[in-house]
Amino acid sequence: MSVTAFTCLPDPRPSRLRRIGQLRNYTQNRSLSSRVPWRSSTSGPNSPNPVENLNESSTPCPDTDHPALSRYTSAPSESSGFGDLTSRVSSADSALSIPSIEAPQTTAHAMARLRSASAAQQPPPRTQDRQNSESSVSPEPNSLQTDGIVPTSTPDDSITSPKPDKKAIIRFFPYQDSHASTTARPSLPFVPISRTLPSESCVIRVGRYSERDGIPIPNPAEPSDAPVGFKSKVVSRKHCEFLYVNGQWHIKDVGSSSGTFLNHMRLSQPNMVSRLYSIKDGDIVQLGIDFRGGEEMIFRCVRIRIECNRSWQQQPNEFNKNTESLIKNLGKGETADYSGCRECSICLGSVLRPYQCLFMAACAHVWHYKCISRLLHSPDYPMFQCPNCRAFTDLSAEVDDSNDLEERREKEPVASAAPAESAPQEAPQNGPVEQIQPEAATETPNIESTNGVDQLHDQLGDVTEEESLAGDIAEASLPNGTEQASLPQHTGQTNLPTGAEESSLSNGTGSLLIHNDGLGGFIEEDSLASGLEHLLIQDYLRTDDTSSAPSSNTDLARSATISIPGWQPSQPLSIPPGRQAQLRSDTPGRSETSDDNPLTPRNDSGPLAFDGRAGMP
Amino acid sequence: MGSQKRIAKELTELTESPPAGIMVELADEANLYEWKVHMEGPEKSPFHNGKFLVKLSLPTEYPFKPPTVSFATKIYHPNVTNDDKGSMCLGMLRADEWKPSSKISAVLQFARQLLAEPMPDDAVEGRIAEQYKNDRARYEEVAREWTRKHAC
Repeated sequence: MSVTAFTCLPDPRPSRLRRIGQLRNYTQNRSLSSRVPWRSSTSGPNSPNPVENLNESSTPCPDTDHPALSRYTSAPSESSGFGDLTSRVSSADSALSIPSIEAPQTTAHAMARLRSASAAQQPPPRTQDRQNSESSVSPEPNSLQTDGIVPTSTPDDSITSPKPDKKAIIRFFPYQDSHASTTARPSLPFVPISRTLPSESCVIRVGRYSERDGIPIPNPAEPSDAPVGFKSKVVSRKHCEFLYVNGQWHIKDVGSSSGTFLNHMRLSQPNMVSRLYSIKDGDIVQLGIDFRGGEEMIFRCVRIRIECNRSWQQQPNEFNKNTESLIKNLGKGETADYSGCRECSICLGSVLRPYQCLFMAACAHVWHYKCISRLLHSPDYPMFQCPNCRAFTDLSAEVDDSNDLEERREKEPVASAAPAESAPQEAPQNGPVEQIQPEAATETPNIESTNGVDQLHDQLGDVTEEESLAGDIAEASLPNGTEQASLPQHTGQTNLPTGAEESSLSNGTGSLLIHNDGLGGFIEEDSLASGLEHLLIQDYLRTDDTSSAPSSNTDLARSATISIPGWQPSQPLSIPPGRQAQLRSDTPGRSETSDDNPLTPRNDSGPLAFDGRAGMP
Repeated sequence: MGSQKRIAKELTELTESPPAGIMVELADEANLYEWKVHMEGPEKSPFHNGKFLVKLSLPTEYPFKPPTVSFATKIYHPNVTNDDKGSMCLGMLRADEWKPSSKISAVLQFARQLLAEPMPDDAVEGRIAEQYKNDRARYEEVAREWTRKHAC
C-alpha cells in the first residue's frame, strides 16, 4: 500500500516518482504489486512483475483514475509484443539481441538504463535470452540491475508469460510500387498490421475479410494469431498463411484462386497448395491480381511489404545506446564521440545543438525535424522508411505504451541498482525534459501530462535534476527539493532528450519527435514522443486494440498534452481529473490525433504541423 | 533551401580534402547544382594517366533525389554510354537505391572505382561489356587508346 501512496504522489510531481523509483530498490516489488490491482491478482504481490503486467496489457485497465496505470496497460502490450516478437523472430535475431544487451554493460550508466528499460518493457525477450543463453543473460542481472528487479521479472515471466519467449513478430505494411509504370494502379490500401505469435506453432491465416469474423484487430497489443483479412475480391477466403518455423518466417499459399506472389513469383497454381517459402525482411507479397483493371477498390490486389527479423534493431545495441547518450547530453557540449549518430544525414549538420527540433525514428536514427519532415509527410504517410537503414515504421501506430513501461522500468531499475536507477529515472525524465523549462517547478506536472505519451515527461526539471544527480551518484540519495530547485534548468536541458531516446531505443519500435523551442536559454517546450510509434501518429485511439476505454482516454490526454507552441490547446475529452490538472495551460497542447479527435484544432499550414498532415495533399 | 546548405557543405569538404584522384569545382560559381569534376584514371587501369572531365548535376530535391553523373570526356567503358552524353550507370544512383545519407564524395569515389573495375553485368554498352568479358586484352588496348586520344 505504501507503494500506492507513492504512485499518487508522482502524478502531481513526477520528480517524486523518480525519487520513489530510487526508493524502489527497497520497496520495488511491493510497490508494483500494490499499484496495479490486476497485477497483484495475476501474480502474488510479492512477486509481481511489471513486465508481466505489461505483457498482459490486454487485461482491462480500470485505471481511469490513474492515468499511469492505463498507460502501462496499453503500452505494455505493444512494447512487450515488439520485444517478444523481435526476440523471437529468429534465432539469429535473438543471438544478436543478446550480445547487444551484454554490450550495454560496458557503459555502466547507459547499460543500466537500457537494461532497466528493456527489462521493464521487454521482459519476455529477456526471459528468452535467459533461457536460450544462460551465460549471456546471467551477466546482465548481476552486473547492472539490482537483484530485486531481475529476480522479480524472471519469476513473473516464467509464470505469466512463458509464451513471449517464443514469440515472433511480423508486420505487414501496404506497399506501393513507386517505380512501376505510372499507369499501374495502387494496390489495396490497408492499415499496417502487426502480429506477435503467441506460440511458435501458431499460424497467421490470411484471407478475404469477412463480416462474420467481426471487426479485425490490426494490431493487437498482446500476442495473437488472429487471421488477417483484406477487403478485396481477388483475395480468397483462405489465401495464404504465415508460419514461423525454426526461427524463420515462411509463407505458403493455401490454395488461393488468384495466387500469392512472393517478390513477383507465384507460389502455386490456382487452387493448389504451395510448399513453404521462407521470407525475409523487405520481401513483397502480393495477394491476387487486379481484376477488371482494378478500377474498383474491391478488385485491387494486395501488396504487402513484410517486416520481420528486425528484433535486433529494437533491442538495446551499440548504436541506439550511442544515440541515447547523445540526446541525453544535448546542450551539455560534446562530451563523447557519438560516432555515426551525431550527424543529420540529410543536411550533414550536427544534431547535437540544443534548441532544434529533432526527429528520431524507431531505428534510433536522428535527423533534424525540418530535414526529415519531407519524408514524414509523404504520400505514404503513415509509413515512414528510414533513409539510413530502410527500416519501416508505422507513424500512425499507437504510441508505445512502452513509455509507461519505461517509467516502470525506470522506477524498477532505480530501485534495484543505483546506476540502474539513474538510467531509468533519466529516461522518464528525459521525456519530460524536453520541456525543460526553468519554470519547470510549476509547470512540470503539466509537462508530464503533455508528454503523456512519454510519461517521462512526468519528471520535470526537478525530476530530471534529481535523476541526473541520481545517475551520477548511483544509489545516492533521495531527491532533494533544494537541489531540484537550483538545478532545474540545466538538468532539464541536458536530460530532455535522453529520456525520449531511452524510451525509443529501448522500445526499438518507437520514434521520438523532439521539439525544442529555446528562448533565453530555456527550452520552453519540448515534446518527445517516445515509444514504439512516432508522436506524429494521428490515431492513437484507432490503433489501440486492447486498450480499454481508460487507456484510450489517457492516450487522448497525452496527445492533447503534447504541447507545441502556438497551438491551440485541445481539450482532452476524457482525461482523468488528475491529468487535466496537470495539463499545461500556457502552452496549448495539440493532439496529433486530430483526425480522430474532432475537438482538436488542426493547423496544417504552419511549420509546426506535427500531425503529419502538413505535407499531405 | 536546405539542399543548398548541404551541397555547399559537401563542396567545402571535397575542396578541402579531396579524395584521391578527384578534384571538384563548380561549373558556374553562381550555380551550386552543376559541378565539374576532374577525375584521374586510376592506376592499373587502362585509363591511367587520363584526365576525365565528369559532370555531376544535382537535382533541386537533393539529397532526396540522386545526382546524375556523366562523362564529358569520351571514355571506352562498359558502364558509360558511348554517346555525346556519356552518362554513367551507377547502382547507387538509381532512384530506388539512392539514400539521402549517401554523399557526393562517396558517389565520386564509387565512380572512379568503376573505372578500375567495370561491372559488365550492369553495363549500358553491351558490346564493350562483351569485349571486356571475353577479350580483356583487346578491351584494355582500345581503352588505352581512347584515353590517349581524348583524355590527355
